[in-house]
Amino acid sequence: MIFFQNLVNALQLGSFYALIALGYSMVYGVLMLFNFAHGDVFMVGAYIGFLVSTGLLTLANLGAVALPTWLILALTIILAMFLTSFVGMLVERVGYRPLRGAPRASAAISGLMIGIFLETFVLWLGGPKRRSFPALIESTTYELGGVIVTNKKIVIVLVSMLLMLALHLFVRRTKWGMAMRAMAYDYVVVPLMGVPLNTIAALTFGLGSALAAAAGVFFGIAYPVLDPYMGIRYGWKAFVAAILGGRGSVLGAALAGFMLGFIEIFVAWIFPSTWRDLIAYSIILLILTLRPHGFFGEPYSAQLRL
Amino acid sequence: MGVESGAIPVKAGRMGSLVSKARAWYSGVPLLGWLLGVLVAVALEHILGRRVARALGMSKEPVLFGFVTMLRDPALLPSAVLYVLLIYLLPIAAVARLTAQLTNRLAATLLSLSSGVSSAVHLGLIYGALHLWSDLSDYRLLLVRLTLIAIMVTLSLNLVNGYMGEFSCSHPGFMALGAYTASVFTVILFVDDRVFGAPLLALPPLLGQFVFPIALILGGVVAALGALLVAVPSFRTRGDYLAIVSLAFMFIVKSLIENLEIVGGPRGLQGQPDWANLPTVFLWAVACIWIINNFVRSTLGKALNAVRDGEMAANAMTVDTRRTKMVAFLFAAFWAGVAGGLFAHVLRYVNPGTFDLKKLAEVLAMVYLGGLNSVMGSIVGAVGFNLLSEALRPLQIIKWMIIPVLLILVMIFRPTGLIAFREFDVQELIRPKGEPQQH
Amino acid sequence: MPSLQVEGMTHYFGGLRAVHGYDLRVEPGQIRGLIGPNGAGKTTIFNLVTGRYTPTEGRITLEGEEITGLEPHKIASKGLGRTYQNLRLWRHMTVLEHVKLARYSKIGYGLVGAFFGTSRRHREEAEIEERANTLLELVGARHFADQVVTSLPYGAQRRVELARALATEPKILLLDEPTAGMNLEELVQMMDIVRRIHDELGLAIFLIEHRMKIVMELCDVIQTLVFGQVIAEGTPNEIQRNPAVIDAYLGKDVVT
Ligand SMILES: Nc1ncnc2c1ncn2[C@@H]1O[C@H](COP(=O)(O)OP(=O)(O)OP(=O)(O)O)[C@@H](O)[C@H]1O
Ligand SMILES: [Mg+2]
Repeated sequence: MIFFQNLVNALQLGSFYALIALGYSMVYGVLMLFNFAHGDVFMVGAYIGFLVSTGLLTLANLGAVALPTWLILALTIILAMFLTSFVGMLVERVGYRPLRGAPRASAAISGLMIGIFLETFVLWLGGPKRRSFPALIESTTYELGGVIVTNKKIVIVLVSMLLMLALHLFVRRTKWGMAMRAMAYDYVVVPLMGVPLNTIAALTFGLGSALAAAAGVFFGIAYPVLDPYMGIRYGWKAFVAAILGGRGSVLGAALAGFMLGFIEIFVAWIFPSTWRDLIAYSIILLILTLRPHGFFGEPYSAQLRL
Repeated sequence: MGVESGAIPVKAGRMGSLVSKARAWYSGVPLLGWLLGVLVAVALEHILGRRVARALGMSKEPVLFGFVTMLRDPALLPSAVLYVLLIYLLPIAAVARLTAQLTNRLAATLLSLSSGVSSAVHLGLIYGALHLWSDLSDYRLLLVRLTLIAIMVTLSLNLVNGYMGEFSCSHPGFMALGAYTASVFTVILFVDDRVFGAPLLALPPLLGQFVFPIALILGGVVAALGALLVAVPSFRTRGDYLAIVSLAFMFIVKSLIENLEIVGGPRGLQGQPDWANLPTVFLWAVACIWIINNFVRSTLGKALNAVRDGEMAANAMTVDTRRTKMVAFLFAAFWAGVAGGLFAHVLRYVNPGTFDLKKLAEVLAMVYLGGLNSVMGSIVGAVGFNLLSEALRPLQIIKWMIIPVLLILVMIFRPTGLIAFREFDVQELIRPKGEPQQH
Repeated sequence: MPSLQVEGMTHYFGGLRAVHGYDLRVEPGQIRGLIGPNGAGKTTIFNLVTGRYTPTEGRITLEGEEITGLEPHKIASKGLGRTYQNLRLWRHMTVLEHVKLARYSKIGYGLVGAFFGTSRRHREEAEIEERANTLLELVGARHFADQVVTSLPYGAQRRVELARALATEPKILLLDEPTAGMNLEELVQMMDIVRRIHDELGLAIFLIEHRMKIVMELCDVIQTLVFGQVIAEGTPNEIQRNPAVIDAYLGKDVVT
């Protein structure tokens, strides 16, 4: 029974990691760049979600507009995703676009610095105090044969999976998705074929950031506290997971994100919880050693260097 | 030919601006002259600093060239500027210019003896200046030692990320390994410690100085062994593999130490003997720079560049690329380990939390700020970053918004850093400048 | 004993058979040519011989010693030097550094020398530099020894690559289209240099070339490769007359 309980928790944690990992993976796959700012974009997304939901709730409480809670939840997710995608595009515009053509490592450093900037900015605006995320879902608990499942968890896992599916379809079916994949295949030729590189880059960052924002909102709903360092706490692990999934593979990143969630929850179940990072990273290292290109990745081109 | 080397400057001054005039005026000053100037300035501060500061309305001499003073109390800005002008800039400028002839002759004489002797004299002057400067406050002493250590860390990472063109993230991990190994060694053997009990070897404190290198080298070796764990899987394949593996390694090391109760777990380890004084740290930093510079300028070391710029061709030109990468990576880790050991003994306390992403961001920032593939770049990067970071300290968290912005700007305008791809030629640095004297 | 001998070499890239049953025997001091249409597998043969790929089948010997499957740097230090069809220079390094580095495997001072700058190192580095300068002289690149390679004109870059290959002290030199992309002046210069290194250093040379005039003028024996298989081998005269070669490669109007 404890096993199934852990499984449920792992699914939820895995959803966060998977959603974040997708953002890393897309930028890496399409532009061959490490977006070291992405973890902090996740954090910013959570804070935006916090602001939006608090604002909407205040409006509702004042009686200015009649908003049922489910609508507030939906609006929070959508608005947070929408607004955060602009943050992502801004990151690209400021930190990455001017560095196109520079060594990739320089762009990585620039991203790292943007991350630190975002963190400090939020810290400066909001103070080091933890913020508790408003309860947007009236908590209901179901018990299925001894396993306790809350409606929050169900919503989080289901909506996360829906979003991932939507992304998958977008990348596979739409013109823009095709362009992104073509870019991943040949970074040099695509711009020559008339697909505007800047638009694709912005799109990639925007989409990834939107997903990160969704993860941020869900995170706020699940563990209702936010702090400026949540980005680095979860982001870097998701980054490693993204690579584990394979270069630029949507499915791989999602899968690796869930796997990371499972490893963490089950390690904490069996071992002292302080061993979590140690074992999680060791397992990742082991898998990478056995499968250097991740689950679904293509072998790296020998020419690509940071 | 004029006795004064001022003949040329005058001509330039007629045409050029004030700046080029000044530059021409000082083009004949050898490094020796500048160092002498700095030494005089620092000595001056020792004697007069307090009085000048009081006269200018400050309670004591500004600790970091007036920056901290200015930011804490903007009203003191003029005083701070005046102080820096009076104590540092003017004396340095005057001494450097006035003694140019003398120092040129001296530099020539020293160089004719041997470049080793000349280098030693220069280093002696640098040490003297650092010693006097840091003698005035504990804060300065700490800053100088930490900056010297930062140079070691930066330079060793530059070896991998700059000279070899890989992207390694595990330097904080190597530092941690070095810091803990050296600390455990010294604390077990020589310190009456709560955790490890009475010292195994009761040595007179004076002898400690001679045992300390062993502890540091041991730390370096353990770090290099850790590096082997990263290198073996990483260098089989190419691309960004090292970046990920080394990042994971860094987290593993931190987490491992946190779980090792015997060395204090997350609380850390303290009570390291006070052996990492200024001369010790200075000597190690000099050794590190000297050895790494020797290496990167040798043909064996140039193999790193060839691996970066075209591994396949390097391999076809008889270069054992795998060995090259391995050696460079382990060597870099060794120095990071030594630096970690020094770090632990400067602070006389370590905890695993120090060696995390923040440290990584710092080290990377120093490497890329200073410049890839450049010894001088690493020195400038480490010193510049540390000074900047300390100077902005009064701004508190806003500092961490300014520094990232500055670095992003550097990346945009100089993607490989300020002083990238430059050889560090000691001979060239220490040679006499200006026209050769024929009289 | 032949300088370089290849017997029954076959190589597959996945399902693609790039080289099939390839035999070669280069005698000491001989200049050998390899011609064939684009994609015939010429460069692949070089890559196989130099150890970049391990042949699926076959045996390669260098002066009687088997080198099949050895790592490229080992093969290179046994005496096999090469240049590339598309230049592969190290873009941040100077010309002199290129040539010096190709003597890597002959360096005896080791890490101790590299770290501590021993007198042995200084002596060896001086020797290496002298030797490198001689080679640069030979290819006419001495005067830009201290320039970074990317600042040089194309023809000069090719000559630097040649000097670099020579610095490995090869017994046989593999040149992959040494005149590709050159203008007429550079081309004449290059042919001159190839002849000179052949005469002065007594090397065996094995070259791939598309320009018929050059192959015909330089080579003692020529092989024609089509779809990974040798369809003809002989002296320039024989090759020029061979109907199969004309058919498959030269085209009717080229032979004039
Ligand atoms: N690494 C590789 N992987 C897969 N196929 C390859 C590889 N290298 C070469 N090929 C294929 O092998 C065949 C032979 O290529 P190769 O480069 O040897 O031709 P070539 O004779 O040198 O042609 P060219 O005159 O254009 O230089 C080509 O079809 C090429 O596409
Ligand atoms: Mg070819």
